[in-house]
Amino acid sequence: MASAGSGDEKAAAAAMITLISSDNEKFEVTEATATLSQTIRHMIEDGCTDGGVPLPNVTSKILARVIEYCKKHATAAAGEEGSSSSFSDAAFLEVDRAFLEELEEFDDAFLEVDRATLFDLILAANYLDIKGLLNLTCQKVADSVKGKTPEQIREMYNIVNDLTPEEEAEIRRETQWAFE
Amino acid sequence: MPLPDELIEEVLTRLPPDDPTLLVRTALVCKGWCRLISSPGFRHRFPQFHRTPALLDYIYLHDSSQYFVPTSSFRLPHAIRSEWSVINARRGRVLVLNKIYSRRHVEKKLIVWDPTTDEQLRLPMPPFNYENNWNAALLCAAPGCNHSDCPWGPFLVVFVRADDREDGTVSASVYSSEQGAWREPISIIHHHGRCRVYPRGPNAHVRNATYFGWDTSVVEYDFGKQELSTIRLPYLCCRQHFVLMTAENSGLGFATVCLEKYNLCLWSRVAGLGGHATWAQQRVIELDKLRALSTPYVCTVGIDNDVGVVFIWAANDLFTINLRSNRVEEVGNVNFAFGVVPYTNFCTLGTQLIPSLLFLWL
Repeated sequence: MASAGSGDEKAAAAAMITLISSDNEKFEVTEATATLSQTIRHMIEDGCTDGGVPLPNVTSKILARVIEYCKKHATAAAGEEGSSSSFSDAAFLEVDRAFLEELEEFDDAFLEVDRATLFDLILAANYLDIKGLLNLTCQKVADSVKGKTPEQIREMYNIVNDLTPEEEAEIRRETQWAFE
Repeated sequence: MPLPDELIEEVLTRLPPDDPTLLVRTALVCKGWCRLISSPGFRHRFPQFHRTPALLDYIYLHDSSQYFVPTSSFRLPHAIRSEWSVINARRGRVLVLNKIYSRRHVEKKLIVWDPTTDEQLRLPMPPFNYENNWNAALLCAAPGCNHSDCPWGPFLVVFVRADDREDGTVSASVYSSEQGAWREPISIIHHHGRCRVYPRGPNAHVRNATYFGWDTSVVEYDFGKQELSTIRLPYLCCRQHFVLMTAENSGLGFATVCLEKYNLCLWSRVAGLGGHATWAQQRVIELDKLRALSTPYVCTVGIDNDVGVVFIWAANDLFTINLRSNRVEEVGNVNFAFGVVPYTNFCTLGTQLIPSLLFLWL
């Protein structure tokens, strides 16, 4: 038992990756968590991770949140692989459903952040190439403009209206149907 | 917004396709957003991302007039002509029959029309006699097309006609926009009794075949074999209103209302004993909302296979039922049950829809 345990520990230790944020903070994560990022996956494949992976575009505050997301979703991915290779009776499906609901709740809570953090998460998800996180964060911003007027959207995101009144009037005239 | 253009595009791509006014409003935020939303790249990626177009309108024909009735915030910028009669619609394009009356005769033409741009492509009528017993379906011709560059990709029109006799012939021909001509018609003798095919009657394209329904049977035009054949409907469903559809097993299916129980029954073609194909009822959706109307006049009148929505007519009210969520919605009041054609599209702001956006590129 003891030898098997130490073997597992060894394998786990071998699969740890160190991520280094822009403010030089180090984060130890499992390979399964880190490889949700395609950028890091490619670095591991190229053998460029000795001494840690520097991420000069991501602050420690944002990296901690990204790792939190990846840990949760890496567990979900492992769960999915397990379920596809074993039996899929009703009880198993029930567990799957419960897990998916839990994941959705996690995502909803994860997105309860201020706008600046949300934008930083989008930038990090794009830089690290984490498709699920990019989708989640971009969808959150897209949902926020539903039912809003152009003025409200500008106000919400501090956007300066650089359309001239003539240009705006011309577009409104040609898309009159949208304002009826 | 402190994001580079590529990420603002990622955000705007995720706006819902069933609310085209939202795209217009976001285009009015600033020059940068306007340029992004009206760019060819965005117009290509938006449908690619969402895959399923939105149900924007349905076309309702009554007393030789026709109306686009919106089911979304979209309003068509171009009106349908009074001399046109809508036959079929597919992903933003509409097949219409154009009748021009002169003193001596009526000249007929088929037109494939894009109501968002008013582009029209006229085609001749098929090379055989068809009188009133016919139906036609519009299809996208590009193999494996994901319709992101539709509507003006190549298209096909399948035209089918039948004799209204005990043992008559069924004929079909296919028009290809790439060849600009009708293919040689093919015909078979059918033994299904008197049959009526009619414009806007049930039709569906499933895998590599197009199907048209009549009272007791379905006629299949197989594109691979270029063959016609007929399939009998289950005896219980003969002479009922039904709509043809892609079933949940991806094969041919149909939906019909069972009046006794106020159920929508979904049937599909499955392998039966000895490998012979047969019909099987796959699923039943209870129509509680319609039961409350307690009317004996309930029937299926239209379907959009892409969106997965069946139109049901119940005593002058029109409802949609979403086959994925089973959600029933009232979408209008129509007093004629046989003239409903769903219209789906991705409504992006093209330079054709807003020519003035062109100047923002300069």
